Amino acid sequence: MAGGLLWATRAASYLRISVPFRAFSSVVKDLKYVDSHEWAKVDGNLATIGITDHAQDHLGDVVYVELPEVGANVSQGGSFGAVESVKATSDINSPVSGKVVEVNEELSSSPGLVNGSPYEKGWIIKVEISNPSELNSLMDSEQYSKFCEEEDAKH
Amino acid sequence: MRVPRSLEVWKMGTVNYLDALKLQDKLISRRKTHKISDTVLSLQHPPTYTLGKRRTDHNLLVPESDLKTIGAELHYTQRGGDITFHGPHQAILYPIISLRDIGLGARNYVEKLELTMIELASLYGVKARAGGVGETGVWVGERKIGAIGVRISSGITSHGLAFNIDPDLNYFKHIVPCGIADKEVTSLRRETDLVLPTEEVIHEQLISCFARLFCFSDLIWKEDAPILPDNGEAE
Repeated sequence: MAGGLLWATRAASYLRISVPFRAFSSVVKDLKYVDSHEWAKVDGNLATIGITDHAQDHLGDVVYVELPEVGANVSQGGSFGAVESVKATSDINSPVSGKVVEVNEELSSSPGLVNGSPYEKGWIIKVEISNPSELNSLMDSEQYSKFCEEEDAKH
Repeated sequence: MRVPRSLEVWKMGTVNYLDALKLQDKLISRRKTHKISDTVLSLQHPPTYTLGKRRTDHNLLVPESDLKTIGAELHYTQRGGDITFHGPHQAILYPIISLRDIGLGARNYVEKLELTMIELASLYGVKARAGGVGETGVWVGERKIGAIGVRISSGITSHGLAFNIDPDLNYFKHIVPCGIADKEVTSLRRETDLVLPTEEVIHEQLISCFARLFCFSDLIWKEDAPILPDNGEAE
């Protein structure tokens, strides 16, 4: 059993996916994270933003995504939209400040992409970063995994 | 080790929908900044139809102007869920609690709200169940006895649940309730043979079920709580 787990974590490492001990939410290594369970993929001064696997699992099936307008300003920690699942609308918050340059229109017809592919096809907005120093306050994948474990242990 | 958690319970009687919304907004900001602990509002509304964030007004079957004639208001809200009716003899709970403090996500929170109503129904011998996928709420057979519509902002909840004690079910005929056609709405009065106690008792039972399911060890009761005055300070 221990041998199997060791193999699994080594394989996961090789594939650049880190699997927390309980292995029910995936975390992608090169992304940045915040404690409200959004991720940011930074490429130069552009950040692609979505919600994490942990978030989509805890939300349930997403039936609706409220997207901001292109050109809207977002601020770090501020809400830029919402998702609806199980009769609950949950605000989504931006890990960085900046201007929305693109939104994922596909989510209007296929909101379930957020559940099925939270880090890839389920991306939500792309933001031109206005304050790169904010990136220093974001969590890396290991810190975020640990944060999730601690949060889930609360109940 | 579980930290003892206290819940402030506001017993409010009949409250106009917009007044309740404004109060919730104030409480949400205070809860976010840790000025207050977890709070739940226990109340009922005068006849009111409400829509959720998706604004599914195609499920309102009569013109809005007709609603005034029958003495009902219509409000658009930011909660999840479809169109519903609130009115006298329907017990409402609006919990303003921090989900992050207890590590709960939306799905688990809504499940516990469903369980709250299921447990209350069972006190009267009524076997209720949670709905399946796409039918969030509480059902007795194919009849809906309890509805849920929630908003979560920075991990703080608002809006909540509505349990039909004995509302006038005719009001539901003007809508496709919760967007689910061909399913009836029911009430505790209809489903149980037992004599019901006063509604105040049922409201308190609902609160107790909620408190137990959410592991609140300490309840602080606030009777006839006034709407917060504009200086933002209670009492």
